Amino acid sequence: MDQERITLAHGAGGQKTAELIERLFARHFQNPDLTADDAAVLSLGGTKIAMTTDGFIVSPWRFPGGNIGELSICGTVNDLTCMGARPRYLTCAFQIEEGFPLRDLDAIAASMAETARACGVTIVAGDTKVAGRGQVDGCFITTTGIGELLPNIRTGGALARPGDDVLVTGDIGRHGSAILLARDSYGIEAEVTSDCAPLWPMMEHVFAALPQGDALHTLRDATRGGVGTVLYEIARESGVGIELRAEAIPCAPAVQGLTGLLGLNPLYLACEGRLVLFCAPAVTDAVLAALHETREGAGATRIGTVSAAPAGRVSLITELGTRTLLPPPTGELLPRIC
Amino acid sequence: MEQKTDTRRALAAAREIVCTYRGPRLRIMEVCGTHTHEIFRLGVRALLPETIELISGPGCPVCVTPVSFIDEACYLARECGVTLCTFGDLVRVPGSSGSLADARSRGARVQVVYTPLDAVTYATDHPEEDVVFLSVGFETTTPASALAMKRASAQSLKNFSLLTANKTMDAAYLAMHESCDAYLYPGHVCAITGARVPRALTARGISGVVAGFTASELLTALAVIVKSAGHAPFFANCYPRVVTEDGSPAAQALLHTYFTPVDAEWRGLGVLPQSGLAVAPAYAQFDARVRYRIPPQEGRSNPACRCGDILRGACTPADCPLYGKTCTPEHPVGACMVSREGTCAAWYQYRGAAPASFS
Repeated sequence: MDQERITLAHGAGGQKTAELIERLFARHFQNPDLTADDAAVLSLGGTKIAMTTDGFIVSPWRFPGGNIGELSICGTVNDLTCMGARPRYLTCAFQIEEGFPLRDLDAIAASMAETARACGVTIVAGDTKVAGRGQVDGCFITTTGIGELLPNIRTGGALARPGDDVLVTGDIGRHGSAILLARDSYGIEAEVTSDCAPLWPMMEHVFAALPQGDALHTLRDATRGGVGTVLYEIARESGVGIELRAEAIPCAPAVQGLTGLLGLNPLYLACEGRLVLFCAPAVTDAVLAALHETREGAGATRIGTVSAAPAGRVSLITELGTRTLLPPPTGELLPRIC
Repeated sequence: MEQKTDTRRALAAAREIVCTYRGPRLRIMEVCGTHTHEIFRLGVRALLPETIELISGPGCPVCVTPVSFIDEACYLARECGVTLCTFGDLVRVPGSSGSLADARSRGARVQVVYTPLDAVTYATDHPEEDVVFLSVGFETTTPASALAMKRASAQSLKNFSLLTANKTMDAAYLAMHESCDAYLYPGHVCAITGARVPRALTARGISGVVAGFTASELLTALAVIVKSAGHAPFFANCYPRVVTEDGSPAAQALLHTYFTPVDAEWRGLGVLPQSGLAVAPAYAQFDARVRYRIPPQEGRSNPACRCGDILRGACTPADCPLYGKTCTPEHPVGACMVSREGTCAAWYQYRGAAPASFS
């Protein structure tokens, strides 16, 4: 460890991030409540709550379909949502670069307030730090959230079971594509907007529509590493295999075109408004019907199933009907995507 | 919708022909890295009868670039203090004493660009730096390097040059044809050279078809090979929506103006006569070898690495003692593990340590 340094791969949400957490943070912070899930589930005086925190350093701070302020609320709200918790209170901490325009900060705060209102959370505390020019790039935001666990819902990355259906709540890879295009590194122009959205209203509707909440086994929002990284995490945590049908994976033509041109796999491009959902096949139709009644879940679809073996692997049934391995995440993703 | 149905029908018919092949052993070499990658992604090998063997040829420009080229680039950064502009893949290719990434961590200026024109822009914006673009690639990417020289020339740019390792495919077709019974010719290269280049090879007894990149296009090309095999040398253009008989005259003219054919070293294949492209004498001011008088570099690779044999189709990655052990995509020892289109990287990504059913 003496010679090692932090590389961008440590922040990409893949293998290297997992190693860093396991070997360094978890070693120091180890306790029974420390979680590998999106949020920790805790008991406070008999009340069950979920708690999580998330930092946002996206560049550029404004992109088609959203901005860092909206993103900072969505990220934390969505993490609480994935644990089956109703998001209630948020705090936010700003690290701002000297010289950052006040009107941009105003736009960011306005978007945060609007997004928070849309999902019924209140921002109850904050912190402001300013660093010298060049010591921070623009504006970084960290949000922390507390949510109230719904009764009868128990989800987790280790709870997927053989036989489960795998659903995704809409087309994939939008956020990563929008950021790529907004950076203008490639001289490519295409109409792609970020999928950035708070998903509590969508899932609140699904939770209410389901007679048995325990038929929903795993919910996870596909952020940095995209849907592919989330599927590999769940396959490992639950000790199951996942089989996808390549033709069933929803992806907008513009995203397909962009990823084809750049040699990227849309399964590994970031989303900021999509959940991956594992449920018992008996409730798949009901879950999909409920999702389709919401704006954010209108494009929800079944993309695959869970098998007992090979554990820890994600495979694809290709358009030729053959089975291939989904190449595991490499961590060579784009830095500062969220 | 109708078109989609037609595609499905064509795919089903082609698949039937390929799957039911019962003739003698047939070795088919795909010469294009994108084909290699798509064949893995689609799981094409799982469909084939045992008698059809797909060999991955030298179709990834990063993979065939010799170690000495990386050494020359490192020399330029270290001894001449130039800023290197390069495609991202090349940064991780090991040279005799480390990669460009290693050189960068020791202070060398290495700038990743997406097109050669970005390197010209960089040179324009940084007049105080000497900028060298690492120009690799086949007929598909070389015209962009020619355009870079054209623009640099128009701007009378004094701080821009190219270190070239550009290659042309026809020499490789001739050098490799005994390793296979038919080629899947690279669709994009043929879009530039025209179908007449590979078609002319039938006169020398070399067979093959030009293939596109979708499931239906790849299977159709394989079906045509299966149908034609065992008869006289054959050629077919199975990618006519992109590849014409004459190719792109504009791109060819750029190549002829700014480049000149030279003997070139291919990793694994040795020196192939007239298979490389160097900066044409009329534009020698853009030739980094002329400008910096780079001494010959030794180009030592890891002796256990079998990239050379793999590029010739003489063995598979599984036969290499380093594959998957010391040589992985995170820590590549040989060039074939670096690029996504390299044979070793494709094997590693799609096979991993998976059971044999993943093929």
